[in-house]
Amino acid sequence: MIRAYHVTKRYGDVHALRDVTLKLGKGEFCYVTGPSGAGKTTMLKMLYGAVQPTEGKLLVGGVDVSRLSKRRLPYLRRNIGIVFQDFKLIPTRTLAENVGLALEVLGTSRDVIDRRVNAVLGIVGLRGRGHEYPPTLSGGEQQRVAVARAIVNDPSILLADEPTGNLDGAMAIEVMEILQAINLRGTTVMVATHDTGLMNRFPFRKLRFEAGRLVES
Amino acid sequence: MSPRLRHVFRRAFRSLWENAYLNSVSAGVIAATTLLFGVYLSVQFNLNKMVDTWDRDIHISAYFHPDVPENRRFDVRDEIASRPEVIKVRYVSSESANEWMQARMPAMEDILKELGSDTLPSSLEISLTASAARPTAIDSFARTLSVTDFSDVDYGQEWIEKFQGFMAMLKLLGAIMGSLILVAATFLVMNTVHLVVYNRKEELEIQKLVGATEGYVIAPFLVEGLVQGLIGSLLALGGLAAVHRLLVERLKDAFELAVAADLQFLPSSYIALLFAAGSVLGVVAALLAVQRFLSKVT
Repeated sequence: MIRAYHVTKRYGDVHALRDVTLKLGKGEFCYVTGPSGAGKTTMLKMLYGAVQPTEGKLLVGGVDVSRLSKRRLPYLRRNIGIVFQDFKLIPTRTLAENVGLALEVLGTSRDVIDRRVNAVLGIVGLRGRGHEYPPTLSGGEQQRVAVARAIVNDPSILLADEPTGNLDGAMAIEVMEILQAINLRGTTVMVATHDTGLMNRFPFRKLRFEAGRLVES
Repeated sequence: MSPRLRHVFRRAFRSLWENAYLNSVSAGVIAATTLLFGVYLSVQFNLNKMVDTWDRDIHISAYFHPDVPENRRFDVRDEIASRPEVIKVRYVSSESANEWMQARMPAMEDILKELGSDTLPSSLEISLTASAARPTAIDSFARTLSVTDFSDVDYGQEWIEKFQGFMAMLKLLGAIMGSLILVAATFLVMNTVHLVVYNRKEELEIQKLVGATEGYVIAPFLVEGLVQGLIGSLLALGGLAAVHRLLVERLKDAFELAVAADLQFLPSSYIALLFAAGSVLGVVAALLAVQRFLSKVT
């Protein structure tokens, strides 16, 4: 599902990633871990096309991201769900509208959007709360809404950048359980985190980065 | 309507409502610009019409010496009327000229009455064929009129040519000023739209992250720009109608000139042009603003 061949990313003279080669199969769950500044976020950003490799080749779902044009980028992203540490929800939109946004951009009809949104809100434990607004929710609930938005169009890859970084222990576990459940449905999940406690509780493959290098795979 | 289009329109009208103040500012700027454009079009339209009428009315006014007897005046009229290049000759007596003047300038009625009915000379108004009315031809024709019969021969061609030169200059100045105003207005509207875009910055970034194409992100702003343009043009049209009405009334009151009644409001083709200008201004400003924003979003 994801293949990187000698991928390097430089910002000027600074190396964010150095010669990274890795392979992640369909339906796999893995952590991208390492200290701050190790290159975790850069790796994820590259996977959803926010930055392009300086050198090397990166394939995501068969698409060569290293050569992807700006025009083709939206079509890659429709196959990838993304969850951020700061949730990235629109505070002035209801939960249903936030989640439905990923389907709206595909031109999905209102009926289908309503049906899908209700279903995924159910998966993340927020059934019947679609009319509420993000600021009225706890951090854990907001992150569950973000997860719902990421999976509403049934992507084959889910990327989560520090999804539990802003959450306390119980809420972090709730979110991880949801991610695990999504993975069990066949979605490839990649979670960037440095929370060792969480990685021990939910043991999956680890891709450990240090100073831009992949040191454990 | 396809679901995608429905989403675009829903988002556009929602944003128009949610950012009512900023959108009103944009519509106001478009209205002011379109009003200026409308005033320019109005002036040009009426001046063109005036010149057209004058062109059609080019004739020679030949004023008789006061001592030419009346029967001689009629003979001269008949002789001139028989020439092939002459379409029509009208004899205007001194009394008729006086009456005409009184009717045209009621404010001077008392003065003209006091001066007497023979103040103005009697004259012949000679209408020529189109070819004879050309600048060089009309000049040659005027020279053939007897200096013993006429004290003065007057034809406004030269003046009209100067006026046409003035019109060409006015058009050029209008085009330059119009371009400058258009650039300034586009800049103003663009910056106002930019504020709306920044208000929705988060939403647009998220749309991009979930796979929205640039077209999908831009489309609602274009609809907003179009609506702002149409509202702005409508306001400008209202303003223009008010200015027109005020101008006609004031000119009538101040000068009692018949020309005030001749001032016409813009015809429908010019009004359509006004709406097109407002709409294009709104849409282009919105497009530039969103593209400037999107160029910074990964």
